[in-house]
Amino acid sequence: MAYVVTEACIDVQDRACMEECPVDCIYPGDRMMYIHPDECVDCGKCMPACPNDAIFWEYKTPPEQAPFIEANALFVRSHGLGGGGEDADPIDEDHPLVAQRRPR
Amino acid sequence: MTTEFTADLVIVGAGPAGLYATYYAGFRGLSVVVVDALDQVGGQMSVLYPEKPVFDVAGFPRVRAQDLVDSLIEQAALAEPTYLLGHDAVGLEQLPDGIVVTTDRGTRVRAGALLITGGMGRFTPRPLPAGGDFVGRGLRYAVPKPAELAGKDVLIVGGGDSAVDWALCLEPLAASVTVVHRRDAFRAHERSVSELRSSSVRVLTPHEVLAVRGGGRVEEVDVAGPDGVETLRVDEIVAALGFKADLAALTSWGIGLSKRHIAVDRSMRTTLPRVFAAGDITDFEGKVRLISVGFGEAALAVNNLVPLVRPDLPMVPGHSSDAA
Repeated sequence: MAYVVTEACIDVQDRACMEECPVDCIYPGDRMMYIHPDECVDCGKCMPACPNDAIFWEYKTPPEQAPFIEANALFVRSHGLGGGGEDADPIDEDHPLVAQRRPR
Repeated sequence: MTTEFTADLVIVGAGPAGLYATYYAGFRGLSVVVVDALDQVGGQMSVLYPEKPVFDVAGFPRVRAQDLVDSLIEQAALAEPTYLLGHDAVGLEQLPDGIVVTTDRGTRVRAGALLITGGMGRFTPRPLPAGGDFVGRGLRYAVPKPAELAGKDVLIVGGGDSAVDWALCLEPLAASVTVVHRRDAFRAHERSVSELRSSSVRVLTPHEVLAVRGGGRVEEVDVAGPDGVETLRVDEIVAALGFKADLAALTSWGIGLSKRHIAVDRSMRTTLPRVFAAGDITDFEGKVRLISVGFGEAALAVNNLVPLVRPDLPMVPGHSSDAA
């Protein structure tokens, strides 16, 4: 189980979620944030912290945002992320799902 | 000074699973010492979401997290436990007939078994980046005794419930209270935020603490906002920036781990003799991290460790209703 960052984060990356996450499991990509599903402990602190309402609980993600569930997981795993987002090296890439979205 | 305690069972982690295990150990006739890194019991329920309603505890259609914790404390009182709060469990020694857990304050707890109910790990306050080494010299992370700040110029940093609640609580006591938050929007309850806005508390948003200065103790603080930098005269800073959790020393004890969790078998045994685990911290095939599962694991662990620490007692518990 995990929380998921979705489309509304793209080109916003407010990072309030990172400040709130007690296990530091949120990682910045180039244009959006990603939650590590293996590290997330489901506490739900990030969801109300997001000023853009971009974060959902995996099982209550709106259907049109559902592809982001896999995008969060694939992004962090394909970049071998883990052990904390605050000190993670910057990644100037995103999941292909993000690349398809035009910059705001 | 070394303080030493002896008990049948030492429980590390005073969250819901640990508190229920405490009750259960008391019900089984064991003496219990409970260790937690925080100054309060309740674990993540009290730290992260005390006001959140919980819907999946058997027999409670809806219960406020802190109310559940309060009931668990009352239930655990049966064991007459010794609580070592604000103690970080840092060491584990194996003895032929027991274990010794040592804490960062030099306290030793000798017991027949250890039950780890550490949840998501040890909670530590998020540090104030500009706070330097002022912790304990005018910089603190919590306000357990508001009277200590009476007559002081207090600066509170943060935008959550703790920051706002402490500001409101200190307003009538302190000489002055200023709240600094990085954003305009507070994450605290709407009602407390509007109370804050209509109080005499000075609210600076969006502001950040740039620097803390003082000879020995905190004396002044630079805060930066949209209109530039302002220097405030401050006696006490309260950094309410939330908590982080980590497995801390547990990972150095040689216990078999599974990802960021402790691997257990079906009787909640870890890979180390006399060391059991229960609740969110465990991992096994089919694991589900729910409070109701944690309660079940706590009872399972205690019943399975009973014969180990008290060979005169059976593993099978009997019914709690018989004790009435």
